[in-house]
Amino acid sequence: MNEKELVQKSQKGDEDAYGVLVERYKRKVFNMAFSLTLNRDVADDLAQEVFIKAYYALPKFKHKAAFSTWLHQITVNHARDYLRRASRMKSVSFEETMRDVPTYANDVEIRERDEELAQRKKIVHEAMAILPEKYRIILSLRDIQGLQYDEISRVLGISPGTVDSRLHRARKMLKKKIKPFLTKEGEHQ
Amino acid sequence: MNCKKAEKLFLRAHDGLLSEEETKEFEHHMESCLLCQATKGEYRQIFEALQQTDFPEPNPYFWERLHPRLKKQKPFESWQLWKQWGMRAIPVSLLFVVFLASAILLLGPQPREELGQSGVLLFEDQSPLQDTETILDQEGVENKNMMLIFASLEEQPGLRRPLP
Repeated sequence: MNEKELVQKSQKGDEDAYGVLVERYKRKVFNMAFSLTLNRDVADDLAQEVFIKAYYALPKFKHKAAFSTWLHQITVNHARDYLRRASRMKSVSFEETMRDVPTYANDVEIRERDEELAQRKKIVHEAMAILPEKYRIILSLRDIQGLQYDEISRVLGISPGTVDSRLHRARKMLKKKIKPFLTKEGEHQ
Repeated sequence: MNCKKAEKLFLRAHDGLLSEEETKEFEHHMESCLLCQATKGEYRQIFEALQQTDFPEPNPYFWERLHPRLKKQKPFESWQLWKQWGMRAIPVSLLFVVFLASAILLLGPQPREELGQSGVLLFEDQSPLQDTETILDQEGVENKNMMLIFASLEEQPGLRRPLP
C-alpha cells in the first residue's frame, strides 16, 4: 500500500494504517528529536507525542506537501517547544546529554581507529548543543538528517535564501566553537 | 577571490549548489591558498562527525506504547483553540481599554469653565462695574441702599417676593 493510501485510510480513523505509517517514520522522527535533545528517553517521548499530534491533525492534512515533510514540521515545532521549556528549567550538562550516544565497536583495532572520530563527534555535538536553537535546528535538518534546501524551507516556513544564509552562519559558528579541537585533530592526522 | 568568499563557495559546493564557473574559480583559489585548505579540512571533520551521528534505537514496543495513547488522547477541537487564545486575549483587551480610557481623558476636549456675569462682561470687553457705578453715583444713602437691594433681588429671582 502506498503512502497516500495509508494517509487517506488513517484520516478515516484506520489505526492499522496509521500503525504502518508510524513504523515507517518512527526512526526519522526519533532521530530528529534525538539530534536536538541528545537524550534517548526525551527523544522517545517527543516522538510519541509527535505521532499523537499528527494523528489528530491528519484530517487537516491536504497532501500539498509530502507526508514526511509535514511530519518533520510537527517534529521540529514540538522539539522547539520542548527546548524552550527545558532551557527555562535548567541547562543540561554535556555528560548528561551524551550519555545515550552508544559506544563503538568492541574490536580493539577498530575502536582505536575510531576513537578519534568518536571524540570529535562528542565535541561537535557538545558545541552544537549550545548553539542558539534556530542554528541547532537547521544544522540538524541539513547536516544530520540530510534534507534538501527546499524541504528545509517548507519545514521551517522560511525562504530558500534564508535557509542558505542561516545554514552558512550556523556552520561558521560551529566551526568557531570547536576550532581549537579541530586543529589538534589535524595534527594527529 | 578572497578567503571569505572561498569559504562560502566551499559550503555551497558541499551542498551541491555551485555552478561550473564558480567551481573553477573556487578550485583555482584552493590550489594556491593554504589557509582555505586548512578551513576546508576543518569543515570536512565537522561534516564527517555530523553525518555519522550514532543514533540509538527508540525504546522498544514503540507502536504498542503509542496505540493506547491514541485512544486516550482527546482530539483537539476548535473550541480549545478559541479558549486558548481567549485566555490570552482577556488581559490584552483589558490593557487596551485602560489605555484607551486614559488617552481619551488626557487628550480629549477639556470642558470649558462656566464664566460668571463679570467674567462674561470682561470677556466681551465691557466694564463689569457699569451698573454699580450708576448706583454709586446716586446722592442719597437711602436711594443707594434701596437700589443695591433691588439689584441683588434681580440676581436671585427665587428670593423676590411674588407680585400680587
